[in-house]
Amino acid sequence: MTRNETSRRLRRLLDLAHGVGLFLAMLIICLPGAWVVLNSLRPTVEIMAKPAIWIPQELSLDAFFAMFSSLGHGAIPVGDYFRNSLIISGTSTVLAIAIGMSGGYAFARYRFRAKSALFLGFMLTRTVPGVALSLPLFIIFARLGIIDTHYALIFVYVALNVPFTMWLIDGFFRQVPRDMAEAAQVDGCTRWQAFWQVEFPLAGPGIASSAIFAFLTSWNEFALASQLTRSVNSKTLPVGLLDYTSEFTIDWRGMCALAVVMVAPALALTFIIQRHLVSGLTSGAVKG
Amino acid sequence: MKSFRVSAPLLLLTPAIVVLTAMVALPLIFSLYSSFTAFRLTRPESLWLVIGLRNYQNALTDPVFLTAFLRTVILLTIALNLEMLLGLGLAMLVEKAIRGQRILRTLMMFPMMFSPILVGFQFKFLFNDNVGLVNNALQSLGLSDSAIPWLIDGNLAFFSILVAEVWSSTPVFAILILAGLLAMPKEPLEAAKVDGCTPWQCFRFVTWPFIMPFAYIAMTIRSLDVARAYDIVKIMTDGGPARRTELLWTLVARTAYGDARMGAANAMAYASIFLSIAFTVYFYRKLAAARALVAAEW
Amino acid sequence: MATVTLERLVKRYGAVDAVRKIDLAINDREFVALVGPSGCGKSTTLRMIAGLEEISEGTIKIGGEIVNDLPPRARNISMVFQSYALYPHMNVRENMGFSLKIGKRSAEEIKRRVDEAAAILHLEPLLDRRPSQLSGGQRQRVAMGRAIVRNPDVFLFDEPLSNLDAKLRSEMRTEIKKLHARVQATVIYVTHDQVEAMTLADRIVIMRDGNIEQVGSPDEVFHRPATRFVASFIGSPPMNLVEAEIADDQFVFTNGDRLPIPAAFRQSASKGRKIVFGLRPDDLYPTGHGLPSDHADAVHEQSLKVNLTEPLGNETLVFFEFAGREWVSRMLNPHPLTAGDSIPVSFDLANAHVFDAADGAALARVGD
Repeated sequence: MTRNETSRRLRRLLDLAHGVGLFLAMLIICLPGAWVVLNSLRPTVEIMAKPAIWIPQELSLDAFFAMFSSLGHGAIPVGDYFRNSLIISGTSTVLAIAIGMSGGYAFARYRFRAKSALFLGFMLTRTVPGVALSLPLFIIFARLGIIDTHYALIFVYVALNVPFTMWLIDGFFRQVPRDMAEAAQVDGCTRWQAFWQVEFPLAGPGIASSAIFAFLTSWNEFALASQLTRSVNSKTLPVGLLDYTSEFTIDWRGMCALAVVMVAPALALTFIIQRHLVSGLTSGAVKG
Repeated sequence: MKSFRVSAPLLLLTPAIVVLTAMVALPLIFSLYSSFTAFRLTRPESLWLVIGLRNYQNALTDPVFLTAFLRTVILLTIALNLEMLLGLGLAMLVEKAIRGQRILRTLMMFPMMFSPILVGFQFKFLFNDNVGLVNNALQSLGLSDSAIPWLIDGNLAFFSILVAEVWSSTPVFAILILAGLLAMPKEPLEAAKVDGCTPWQCFRFVTWPFIMPFAYIAMTIRSLDVARAYDIVKIMTDGGPARRTELLWTLVARTAYGDARMGAANAMAYASIFLSIAFTVYFYRKLAAARALVAAEW
Repeated sequence: MATVTLERLVKRYGAVDAVRKIDLAINDREFVALVGPSGCGKSTTLRMIAGLEEISEGTIKIGGEIVNDLPPRARNISMVFQSYALYPHMNVRENMGFSLKIGKRSAEEIKRRVDEAAAILHLEPLLDRRPSQLSGGQRQRVAMGRAIVRNPDVFLFDEPLSNLDAKLRSEMRTEIKKLHARVQATVIYVTHDQVEAMTLADRIVIMRDGNIEQVGSPDEVFHRPATRFVASFIGSPPMNLVEAEIADDQFVFTNGDRLPIPAAFRQSASKGRKIVFGLRPDDLYPTGHGLPSDHADAVHEQSLKVNLTEPLGNETLVFFEFAGREWVSRMLNPHPLTAGDSIPVSFDLANAHVFDAADGAALARVGD
């Protein structure tokens, strides 16, 4: 066989291996999630069957109906969890964005002493693990009597989200040319008006991305939520998921359905911001 | 009389400073203080009982704490290295794909979109000895005839948690390294091929030196996430059974809320924080060195 | 034996053919230049020879062996890239010795060969520097040094001088020529600059839109361009090319001006035929200020108006108005001319070129 033919066969083999490798990798990545979604649609009988049934015989949305129809009575109080998560995540996001915007603008547009020290300080707060923070907060909030209320988590989540939000929004404001606001001021706007009419709309998409990111962080947070909540008054979806999977007999189908409900908004929103996330993470890396 | 003008940026930053001080800085100081006391939740007045470094001494000589510490370090070291290798492999596979790169990149990010609690749940489900996919598959394929206790046996449970951790965080590495691969100038690589390099040599002498900083950034970012191990472990095994998968943070939470020994728990927490800072500093140094070597040239 | 043969070579990108079924035979130790405008397929062809591009159809043989699927490292070639492609994290010595290190040569041999190459290219004082510390011309020499340490069968150059300034470019041209004489290897050199091609190559391959327009020695392509495109591409300033029709044994231009048809073309020039008339600036000059013609009876004289002059020192480019267009001419032993004056101009029609207006092919000359 000529050298050329050997080379060609080797290359074909490598191409095949490459394809197989990619396929396997994608399979491993998608399998867990897909399996959970699938099982939320199968009757419990099938899930528990031995030997295992591989081809789903029956698919239905029963689990979801059961979950939402029993809102408020017995079973898993999904409605309460969902409501709590929504209120807490939503409110904390709005507040975090407001604070983050004002702080981010300060970093983007002004020069002042201790700027980098302050920035570092803000970033460092992000490195504190949720569990560690929950210890003192538990005590403090217990004294203040706000355990098991929405307020507790809202306050904490705002603090949790402000640093990253500020960092992102700082970046987005930097991309808006300074001259625009100045031109607006020359045209007669006050600084305040110039901001709202010109700079804010331009950084809009970026701020929206930061909002989504903050929302997701709050939506998915577990460690602090598990300690600062006590009852369905304030328990969020992640805590709910843990509570019911810690039981002795687990309603797998119901749990899968709950998981799907938890992840659906997260997936949708993450998909929207993933572009910004990647570019934000890597632009710092490349420019260094 | 001098008039006092508050500068604009200071005004803008005040809300952020206030919130973070109130919610993070002050609680941390409080926590530090309480780590020097014999504070128990059941006896609130013990908050004022200062016992110096006794909590720290107890923690550092407590076999339970040391085991948890060791287990955490081992878990993280193995996890980070695996994630790095797999992330690199995945990034290279995706980079060489000619068609459908965007779909591949989106799929690659999937695991990142799941919160740790959900990741834990997925794998709790998959590894369940009764209804889990893994055992069912093994049995259907005839590779085993009994239910393997993935989440019960100490070593297997450690393995299961490791799998969950690696599954959820490899994309971070893969994405950052992929960004590096795509940003890399292609000509030196072509020159290396002409100079006689096999694919492995091309990687070793040209590709790797370039993407080293990206790999180290990923390491640094990940090491900050040491705490994520809490959520996953809590839902998969809750540190059990019988503490066989107890990690630092599950231990801290148990000591604080289960045993109500707040002071001791805070001491442990601080010890753990120092650990994660040490990890981060280590990787940051490596990153700076790699950047200095490569970025200056490329 | 380092012959390179391209047979029915095609490169396809989706629906677009970048290289269309070209055939080329390059001899051992020959210096061949691939030249043409951007997008003509010359770099693509070179990269296919190197093994850096996939071949869509056809074969490439090096030394008689088919190499279509061989990776670059198996083809025994060296390449100098347009952007030099030096390894940024290695110093000059390591850059140059890299291929030898990969080839598992001994440390002494590597040092010896690198020193040799460095001496030839005057790189000795730079051996410990990093590429980021070198100027463009220095990097270019390092890239060349990296290529010559190995003694490959074939050297490939991909527009190596295009990133250099004009003075440096002409210096490096001379270096490359000396290098070729020294290493005695087959060289394939891609450039868009026809001056480089003319001065360096044994044979020139002119390409356009993926096709080969002509292959020939510098002399051949200059004096006997096979197509209108080659005629306009080779030579500086470019050949004057104007459309005309054949009538009454004359070239009739669109505005009515005429020129007699030289003897060599009388047979192929049928009445009514649409052609393109070509005359190099060297063959058009103010009477008395050009080279004497081989065929004095073929020189046609006419009075023309001067539009513009560009003095170059030893010669002046004079722009005349004729046949409704501006023509460039080269005036030797120049004296100043005034724009607007009419002066006697000589057309050396023995060196005229005629091309078919439709397909651009050169018309046959009698007595060639």
